[in-house]
Amino acid sequence: MADIEIEIDGNVVTAQAGEMLISVTDREGISVPRFCYHKKLSVAASCRMCLVDVEGAPKPQTACSTPVNEGMKVHTQNAKVKASQKAVMEFLLVNHPLDCPICDQGGECELQDVAMTYGSDMSYFSEGKRVVVDNDIGPLIHTDMTRCIHCTRCVRFGNEIGGIAEMGGTGRGEDLKIEPFLQEGITSELSGNMIDVCPVGALTSKPFRYALRTWQMNATPSIARHDLVGSNVFAQTYKGKVRRVVAKDNDNVNETWISDRDRFSYEGLSHENRLLKPQIKLNGKWKEVQWNEALEFTVRGLANQVSDNQANEIGALASNTATLEEFYLLQKILREMGSENIDHRLDIKDLENSITLDSNIKLTELESIDYGLIIGSNPRLEQPMINHRLRKAVLAGADIDVVNVMPFDFNYRINSENIISPYQTATILAEISKSVLKSVHAKNYLSNVSARDSAQSIANRLLTADNSVIILGEHIINNPQAISIAKLISEIAQQTNSATLNISATSNSIAAEMANFVPGQGGLDANAMLAAKLKAYILLDIYPEYDFHNSVKALEAFGNNTFVVSMNSFKDKVISQCSDVMLPIASFYETSGSHVNIDGKVQSFAAAVSAPSESKPAWKVLKVLADLLKLQGFHYEDSTQITSEAVNQNRQKATDERPVSVIAEAKRGIDVIYQKSPYATDVLLRHASALHATKIGQVHLASMNKSTAEKLQVERGKKYLGVPVMVTESVANDCVFINARHPIGGKS
Amino acid sequence: MNEVCFKNLNKEECHSLKVYRESGGYKVWHKILQGEITPEEIIDELKTSGLRGRGGAGFPTGLKWSFMPRQSDGQKYVVCNSDEGEPGTCKDRDILRYNPHAVIEGMAIGGFVMNASVGYNYIRGEFMEPFKRFEGALKEAYDAGLLGKNINGSSISFDLYTHLGAGAYICGEETALLESIEGKKGQPRFKPPFPANVGLFGKPTTINNTESFASVPEILANGGQRFADLGVENSGGCKLFSVSGHVAKPANFEIPMGTPFKDLLEMAGGMRKGGKLKAVIPGGSSTPVLTAEAAMAMTMDYDGIEVAGSMLGAGSVIVMDDSTCMVETLTRLAHFYYDESCGQCTPCREGTGWLYRVLKRMTDGDGVPEDIDLLLSVQDKIMGNTICALGDAAAMPVESFLRNFRSEFEYYIEHGRSMIKG
Repeated sequence: MADIEIEIDGNVVTAQAGEMLISVTDREGISVPRFCYHKKLSVAASCRMCLVDVEGAPKPQTACSTPVNEGMKVHTQNAKVKASQKAVMEFLLVNHPLDCPICDQGGECELQDVAMTYGSDMSYFSEGKRVVVDNDIGPLIHTDMTRCIHCTRCVRFGNEIGGIAEMGGTGRGEDLKIEPFLQEGITSELSGNMIDVCPVGALTSKPFRYALRTWQMNATPSIARHDLVGSNVFAQTYKGKVRRVVAKDNDNVNETWISDRDRFSYEGLSHENRLLKPQIKLNGKWKEVQWNEALEFTVRGLANQVSDNQANEIGALASNTATLEEFYLLQKILREMGSENIDHRLDIKDLENSITLDSNIKLTELESIDYGLIIGSNPRLEQPMINHRLRKAVLAGADIDVVNVMPFDFNYRINSENIISPYQTATILAEISKSVLKSVHAKNYLSNVSARDSAQSIANRLLTADNSVIILGEHIINNPQAISIAKLISEIAQQTNSATLNISATSNSIAAEMANFVPGQGGLDANAMLAAKLKAYILLDIYPEYDFHNSVKALEAFGNNTFVVSMNSFKDKVISQCSDVMLPIASFYETSGSHVNIDGKVQSFAAAVSAPSESKPAWKVLKVLADLLKLQGFHYEDSTQITSEAVNQNRQKATDERPVSVIAEAKRGIDVIYQKSPYATDVLLRHASALHATKIGQVHLASMNKSTAEKLQVERGKKYLGVPVMVTESVANDCVFINARHPIGGKS
Repeated sequence: MNEVCFKNLNKEECHSLKVYRESGGYKVWHKILQGEITPEEIIDELKTSGLRGRGGAGFPTGLKWSFMPRQSDGQKYVVCNSDEGEPGTCKDRDILRYNPHAVIEGMAIGGFVMNASVGYNYIRGEFMEPFKRFEGALKEAYDAGLLGKNINGSSISFDLYTHLGAGAYICGEETALLESIEGKKGQPRFKPPFPANVGLFGKPTTINNTESFASVPEILANGGQRFADLGVENSGGCKLFSVSGHVAKPANFEIPMGTPFKDLLEMAGGMRKGGKLKAVIPGGSSTPVLTAEAAMAMTMDYDGIEVAGSMLGAGSVIVMDDSTCMVETLTRLAHFYYDESCGQCTPCREGTGWLYRVLKRMTDGDGVPEDIDLLLSVQDKIMGNTICALGDAAAMPVESFLRNFRSEFEYYIEHGRSMIKG
């Protein structure tokens, strides 16, 4: 848009025709008070606080809803404006309880701040004040709606960002109440943002309630590592503890929002189940020792088990929550020792068949796609912030098609939801592939394929869309044809000029790949390491029952005659059974390090607090361990040196020559897709209590249709693999979709 | 008298298509269907007529119609505001009851001028009889081939729907009305954008009052100049006045603009038995109240009423005699606005309740002398600071009642009882 000049308080400033006055004043640093306006939400113009005087307009105008035009003259400070602002401020306070001393928002309250500048120090209001009865809207948000000033930011957040109209205004006039429409309260995976947008103490954090004043805390910028986005956050700390996490703006990553998972996971940090002291196992009994003793015990143990030329008898496994630096140091230790047995892909049944698919679209670009095809994912719960970008795209007109094993609750319009059995996923992709091939290629595997209507229509959309993306999700990782699926996607993307987005692995898995935390030449992958029953294992923050695809095999491998070094942030029954030494390490916000997000963006963070008791950041432990092992090249002063080494190392990607198979193997039996509940995906989340009380956190179901249930001889009310069975015809044939809070054990 | 909207009032079955046609109804529409009139000619004729919006704001209708981006692509709408809710007003109700075809023809002409093929008539929720009358007329019009797609084989299409409101005063505000038609909560939108650009379902929309639409066929049939000549300068034509209160024969009167108030009072049979004129609210409850002297000197047209110190509004004349306690009257009015505020924007949501509570306290006998200044200050803080005019509507009576009848308020505060009623 064209640049124009307008005059504000006598100063000429440049603006773009049509933009709202308030964005100009904000940019110019001119103070205009507001409550209902929020830069990421639609304009409501209802609080009337941002009234300014526009020459030629008979009445004061709201800066948030007044588009600028050439030559406009605006006054933000004159007597007329001041009178209006003071009037609105007085009205806002007549029915506000002014209970600041007992309000959690005190000190970070927009009403308080603006009232100090624009309000009066006395009120002429001597009538009775309005009182509003509160509803319990769930375990995350506390309500004191008597304090509500009806700015409707939370309502607009729900409608526009969260995608569910959970809050609304009922009643009218003075009886207008902002409240959830439904009894079940607020269930959105992004609900905590309502706390951030609420300008007053009406919506506050329930877990943080009555804990501290905002000015008592320090705020350290950090990165949330629970998903592939790495949302920017502030960890707010007091006396060495993280007491609250709030969103930090970054338009390229999380805009101004964070998921509830990122916001409330910190609660787990102070769980009593933390591993706090180094321990060694002597004659089958655990003994708490000093760090030097534990590390010497570790070095001795490794040396006893593995003689010089037997380095390949050692394996290292790490969970996807580790930092880039930790992945890098651990693989470097192994490689310096001479072992290539390194892996982070713990939950994949068949690593020969593991997915490799690059992502080549940025988060910000996702919102401008005009077509998306989602395969095997429930992005709302798995990658809430990626889903948020997709939602923006849909609101802007994009179409999304889905290929899943059962319908999920999308918070945007889905063009078509194709529910098909896992054994048909490769087939439908082959059909799409055949439909998009411009010439009849000599692809043998497509010769017997004929495309069904839905495949043809997806193909047409991919061909006609200008910006399309194919998204590969988590539900595919254990599909026996996973690699074929990934390759077909890659092929279709090439043919249709589409981007690909691989969200099949999560947390910090991209950092693991960047750090080369995968088996090298002659090395064993995670499953092979367990099958080989090596003589020694180094485990980085692993909780076998949750993390391994087959925890039974893991327990067998870690059994007798092996030396297992476990570095953990939390205690774990299985780890204490099978380990020989347990080293307590720092958890989220307690260590410096880096997260690599889906854009390949390396986001480094400092520790917000020090690790509790005797636990230490894992990168420091690994560095000392390397020194004790007398390995070369570990003279790092701080973690940033490791970061740059990790980022700059040469990585070679092997070309993937595994064949594509598209035959539908209907006879292969029943596929079980096991997905952890979104609030059980890592150890910190599993200890965050408020999240588990939410509706999302409570989900614990094995869904299947009637014929599958009959084949498995289970029914509603019974359990399958320890998870309650739900029989619904919406699930595809021969498939069980498990969304579970607890490990389901021995999923072979 | 009764020359435009009410011209068939005294005929049998005056609401029927037959009677409407006999008096020249739908002739203009037929000419349009035959391509004999252009939209520009219609707009010019309306401008000549001096017709101003009859809903209360008094915006020139011809000018309003010329604002519509009629050449732009996409759907456009015309909407008729029959959500007549202003206390004191009942003229649109009677137009819908006795001359519904004039509204239909007026809207169809509007649709043609604005290039809008769909119209909605939003009728107040309580108007069940007018709603049925209008629906009946609509059926007649459809059956007679006057509405629909490609009417009479022309390229003109116009479909008209009736939408019954649900009893909220605020839905008479044109953008709240649009929200209500869209199925949303009736809350006014902020402007700009104006409905002419972003209206119903986000499309360009023209909204006019029932009486405005009903006047259009007559203006076009007999010429804008004739209509203008009926009235006075700056206030063309006739206007319906709903006279209510302490008069002998409360009724709707269609009289030429510029008629003296005292003549109108006479038409309404003069004051109720034994009463002496005390005060008049000339344009509906939201317009400032006038003293008897000011009212008796006033002529009933836009400028005449403004000179007297009030506004023509929707032409709802509330007459009060000397048995009226102005404190209690204002309290009742304040309660109305307190009750009908949508609650969306701060000054109105909080201010209307504040005004009412102070007045209620006063009529409960607990007023204090500072309350008068407090009321004036609160109404002043609402004025001009709200999204829609409801805030101003709540504020204006307070100021005028206190200005014109201050001593009654002072008496009520001092004695804890009404000066009039004892």
